[in-house]
Amino acid sequence: MASLRLEGLTKRFGNVVAVNGLSLAVDDGGFIALLGPSGCGKTTTLLMIAGIYRPTAGKIYFDDVLMNDVAPKDRYVGLVFQSYALYPHMTVFQNIAFPLRLAKRSREEIERKVKEVAALTKIEKLLARRPGQLSGGQQQRVALCRALVKEPEILLLDEPLSNLDARLRIETRAEIKRLQRELGITTILVTHDQVEAMTMAERIAVMHDGVLQQYDPPGVLYDRPKNLFVASFIGDPPMNLVPVRVLEQGGRLILSADGFQFSLGEELREGLSPLVGQEVVLGLRPEDLLLSREERPEGIPGEVFLTEPLGGGILVHFAFGEVKLRVLAPREQPVEVGDRLWIVPQGEKVHVFGPDGRSLREADAAA
Amino acid sequence: MQGFLFLSPGLLLILAFFIIPAVVTAVMGFTSLDYRFKWDFVGLGNYYRMVRDYLIPRILVNTLVYTFGTLGIFNVTFGLILALLTTSVGERAGLFFRALWLLPRFTPPVVYAAIWLWILSPTKNGLLNGLRAAVGLSPVAWISQHPWGVIIITNGIIGASMGMLVFASAIKAIPRDYLWAARVDGASWFQEVRHIILPLIRWPLMFITAYQTLSLLTSYEYILLITQGGPFHASEVWSLYAYNLAFSSYSGTYPFGYAAALATVLVVIGAVASVIYWRIFKFREMMAPPRIETV
Amino acid sequence: MGTSRYRPGSLVRQQRKQKALKAGMYTFLVLASLPIIVGYLWLIVGAFSGNFVFGFVPQGFTLENWSFLWKPPSPAWPNIWRTVLNTFILAFGVTAVVVVVSTLGAYVISRMQFPGRSLILASTLILHAFPAITLLIALYYILRILGLLDTLIGVILVRAGLMVPFSIWVMKGFFDDVPWDIEMSALVDGATRFQTFWRVMLPLVGPGIAAIAIFAFMSGWAEFIFLVTFVRSPDAWTLTSYINAIIGNYRFTNYGLLAAVSLFYMVPVLLFFLFTQKFLMRVTVGGLKGGR
Repeated sequence: MASLRLEGLTKRFGNVVAVNGLSLAVDDGGFIALLGPSGCGKTTTLLMIAGIYRPTAGKIYFDDVLMNDVAPKDRYVGLVFQSYALYPHMTVFQNIAFPLRLAKRSREEIERKVKEVAALTKIEKLLARRPGQLSGGQQQRVALCRALVKEPEILLLDEPLSNLDARLRIETRAEIKRLQRELGITTILVTHDQVEAMTMAERIAVMHDGVLQQYDPPGVLYDRPKNLFVASFIGDPPMNLVPVRVLEQGGRLILSADGFQFSLGEELREGLSPLVGQEVVLGLRPEDLLLSREERPEGIPGEVFLTEPLGGGILVHFAFGEVKLRVLAPREQPVEVGDRLWIVPQGEKVHVFGPDGRSLREADAAA
Repeated sequence: MQGFLFLSPGLLLILAFFIIPAVVTAVMGFTSLDYRFKWDFVGLGNYYRMVRDYLIPRILVNTLVYTFGTLGIFNVTFGLILALLTTSVGERAGLFFRALWLLPRFTPPVVYAAIWLWILSPTKNGLLNGLRAAVGLSPVAWISQHPWGVIIITNGIIGASMGMLVFASAIKAIPRDYLWAARVDGASWFQEVRHIILPLIRWPLMFITAYQTLSLLTSYEYILLITQGGPFHASEVWSLYAYNLAFSSYSGTYPFGYAAALATVLVVIGAVASVIYWRIFKFREMMAPPRIETV
Repeated sequence: MGTSRYRPGSLVRQQRKQKALKAGMYTFLVLASLPIIVGYLWLIVGAFSGNFVFGFVPQGFTLENWSFLWKPPSPAWPNIWRTVLNTFILAFGVTAVVVVVSTLGAYVISRMQFPGRSLILASTLILHAFPAITLLIALYYILRILGLLDTLIGVILVRAGLMVPFSIWVMKGFFDDVPWDIEMSALVDGATRFQTFWRVMLPLVGPGIAAIAIFAFMSGWAEFIFLVTFVRSPDAWTLTSYINAIIGNYRFTNYGLLAAVSLFYMVPVLLFFLFTQKFLMRVTVGGLKGGR
């Protein structure tokens, strides 16, 4: 298997910059995801790695060998397209055998390898069919087989699950993860679905407008988002982001918005003190907030104006003038509209983003 | 009612210039009509004459060689090569070459012929003989010595553009994921063409072959302009023979009846082929009924 | 990574192969297109120079080839401007007939139900493939009866008639693409069917009308076979007859004149071609496959 390194990768289409200065590395056998909203440049990146698009600038290395000008056929990558791109005029067997036929393998070897890989994804019975006669899930597995059969150095998956229904998606997710572990292939998954990325990948590269925002393991991405974009993109229900002003009262730093005040512990003091008088954004994850019926000194009093049962919990909405806050409460906790409660943040799980959108924790960490 | 009013000019033109002429051609074929314009019915006389005509075997061979030679070499093969190449090189270059090849199709036939008459001129003022003179070779009478090569190439360049356009648009209509997948699967350009593109444009290939067979079988404009069928009927094809009999002075009597009988053969072939194409290429699917029924 | 499958040496060889393939493609295209490139270049260069040395090296610049613009090269020939006027009359005549007839017809076929609709539709389609040129002898006879032989009107009608199945078919495609809702809402808003056609539909199929108009103009402008067969008298000559006469009279001699008149004839074609070639390609393909 191969390692992958991108250095300052850039792709322009006319005036549009699809990917801008992307640098990242994937270890041999690693599994990463490129995550971002549609149009963020993740598929373009994938196609550059596959050799379909030529980078406008920057470098692509496989195993420290420069690949920029290498044709797709010489890159030993497997690619599963979002559309699956199964050749309509070939049977399933012929589709899977195609890469081996092109590589001029012997008939017996082709037969054996196709059977092997078909067994891996349990589609042995479908080999004689045409793609048009298969369900979406079956097509997906055929596409995966075709990518795997040639024993690629790098496996590229472009939104492989997006055309499947919800249940099948969860099953296939686990299946792909299992296959990747067993075969140990360096894998890059492109997806707009954070759950897909979080559950499958070891590291996630979050992209936005062609620019890499953060490249970290899922846990880090969730706990320590580097900027506002990552904070808002990762997490479901999404993080509460409240524009506040930094004030100093009696030696304490206070974040204030209309109808709403929040005093901070010592933790972010260093980052915040130069910002007194300025606007910042306070980020609180709904699941990191507790609700209390008793008054708490660090809590924010508020009145419930809407509740949404989610099955596993209740999403409780509060309003403070323009400011809205959502809190994820456990199902057992009885909450009614109109209740007056204290919202209690967990000190270490408070995020503050400076005027440039960067997390102040990050600034702390960098300092 | 209004609908009929709208439609009638079109119907009238089609009646006057397709239906009636087809009938007239067929009827004329049974007469000995000539420069005196007298309708004397001679039954199958013209068809007997056709069987006995010592030129017919030669013309038949000419027609087949011309039709399938041009079709095979240019209209299909060369058209396909051009389509493949112009869709494989860059977008702009591809467009440039396609436009270049389309230009002769929209050039007035006399101008197109003039260009070839210059290139092929038997004097050293022509391009090819000028080049020969430059290296000290004597001029060649290209047109009379190689009438076959000349009419196949001159017609072929125009014929190839139709195939090129149709194939190129079919190639561009192939979902690019298929082509990309093939490249990632390890296909070279030739393998991509052979395993993905050709199977997927099978239908337009058949269509162009069928369609252009018919149009080559019946077209003679450029032959008339460049070789006039000569020398001594060497490049005369069926449709041109009919034309020359009716409109050139070489037979002296302008035997319209006989020429019409020759044309009738083509009209019948054309009519049958058109109906067959209509069946094969499922034209019927394009005829969905309208959804507003008020008039 | 001593075991890597990526060996810089072999990758470079593969890259060279790729580059050679691309270069080969361009070379082939250029070589194959050479007759076309050289031929059209000759029109331009030859029109402004005396005889060529070795067939292709022009000798000096001259406007002598253009003297046909003020003095006919042969006393029997008509004035060039009369010929140009005729060519325009022919081209515009064909355009007018084709546009009016096929726009009306296509609308009815696309949008109205009437007895015989599918028969008419089928016959326009069948005629589409039918080789009209085989009817030339009968057409000669019909024009003779109608007294239209040796007139431009005769040629206009024949050429327009032969183009009608094609252009009805192209126009029908454009009408088919106008959503029914638009027409229905116009009817609901109180328009008659004719007002709907005139005020709502026609503006929406503008590109289609442009397409068939350009096609009709180009084919009328370039008309050859019907013209040289049906028209003899110099009064009705077009540029085609003019060039045909040069080819006949001066065969193998005055290439300068031939190039100059040809270039003169090509000007509108080249202009149209320059600005609408993408469009022409689409309609050439679309008309063949059925108006889409």
